[in-house]
Amino acid sequence: MRVILVEDEALVALMMEDLLEELGCQIVASFGALAPALEWLDAQSTLPDGAVLDVNLGGGDDVFPLARALRDRGVPFAFATGYGVLPDEGFAEATVLHKPVDLGMLWPVVKSFRPAA
Amino acid sequence: MPGAGILERGASADALFTLVEMIEDLSSARTVDQVAAVVRSTARRIAGADGVAFILREEAQCFYMDEDAIAPLWKGQRFPLDACISGWAMLNRQTVVIPDIYKDSRVPHDVYRPTFVRSMVMTPVRPNDPIAAIGAYWAVERQPTEDEVTKLQIMARATAAALDSALMHASLAETLQRRKVLLRELDHRCKNTLATVQSIAHQTLRCSPSPEDFVEAFNGRLGALARAHELLTRGAWGHAGLKAVLAQALGMFGGADGERIRVSGPDILLAPESSVAMHMTLHELAVNAARHGALSVESGRLAVEWSVDMAAEPRALDLTWTETGGPEVAADPVRGFGCRLIEKGVAREFGGQARLTFAPEGVRFRLQAPLSARLRLE
Repeated sequence: MRVILVEDEALVALMMEDLLEELGCQIVASFGALAPALEWLDAQSTLPDGAVLDVNLGGGDDVFPLARALRDRGVPFAFATGYGVLPDEGFAEATVLHKPVDLGMLWPVVKSFRPAA
Repeated sequence: MPGAGILERGASADALFTLVEMIEDLSSARTVDQVAAVVRSTARRIAGADGVAFILREEAQCFYMDEDAIAPLWKGQRFPLDACISGWAMLNRQTVVIPDIYKDSRVPHDVYRPTFVRSMVMTPVRPNDPIAAIGAYWAVERQPTEDEVTKLQIMARATAAALDSALMHASLAETLQRRKVLLRELDHRCKNTLATVQSIAHQTLRCSPSPEDFVEAFNGRLGALARAHELLTRGAWGHAGLKAVLAQALGMFGGADGERIRVSGPDILLAPESSVAMHMTLHELAVNAARHGALSVESGRLAVEWSVDMAAEPRALDLTWTETGGPEVAADPVRGFGCRLIEKGVAREFGGQARLTFAPEGVRFRLQAPLSARLRLE
């Protein structure tokens, strides 16, 4: 399972990477900001199987442009956020994990990334 | 009393009722737009004029916000305070009566030529500190009566009270809105901090040989996180200076710029979250130095130096942590969470590169990162 992570807080990111790896994921890319993540996605010929996305990326950036790009490409993703309610950006259907995130919360998300075949 | 004056002079009951209605409407107006709308819809009738305009002061400009007239005046336009009659009335805090505008040098004639206006009265709203003005205009050359001037001044007084209340309302609404935003932000920061603590616990547990080791390392890191937040609170969660972050992180280890620790470089500002990551990294380096490195012996020295390469595109920070004079460093120590945080944490935070080297003469750390919103020159 090839997964990407977007999380602007370094410490939180280290743990999320660990948790995802413990669940059998391979972290193919991990970003702390929006722009490099978008750039990376554009350059991929093989898409990842899933993504875990922090919502607020600091400096006024949010992750929604990347979420839209992933949705357009059919890559499943889940948000991980410290905000109680997501701003209305057209992702009412998306899975939202509330921080702090643990293995129990992450497991069904990772399972849902697995291709049906 | 101006009110008695109106009655004595036999002003029509209609104008008086309109005036009372206007005052009632003004008292329920909650925004500046609503105040302007009340003035527009009633002032012309009360003044018995061919046109009225409501002008709002915007710092050094007069904004002709609204009007009601037999032909267009200047609605939506802005003029400098010192280049129009409303500005003159507001700057001089007095009512202006002009029987023939073309004989008055204060009037910018070119601006009036396309309009019907020949005579006018302009009165400031809140004369001791004018925030607006009301103008009444006539198409013929005439001396506006004392009665007309008085009515206009009464309207201006009622308008002043309404504008004050509208502005207070706006500031109250803004305060409430800001409170809501702050609470949401607080909730977000709390949860992120909890996630950070969770991560520290998780990582520390993985690298702790015994529960005692875990408690010691975890408490140390928790303390470092608390001090990082202290720094942010002092700076109202704005950017924090790199020197302040260093001073905070090294405070427990003899302090930055003490006898043993030398710190030098230009003033760099870090975004709030980035300064937490930077502080945690520096804490790990300092703890390691105090336990095994240069800060563990009297003769040891630490230099933290940085510069910004102005020629690079984008400009980049180059920071080095150099320990000397300490015990000989083991070539390949066990790389725990500390190393991971030091090497991956800040590099990721700033989109740069970080390298930790265990040279025999002392530990070295180097961070190279492009300047960005998270990392900038002061």
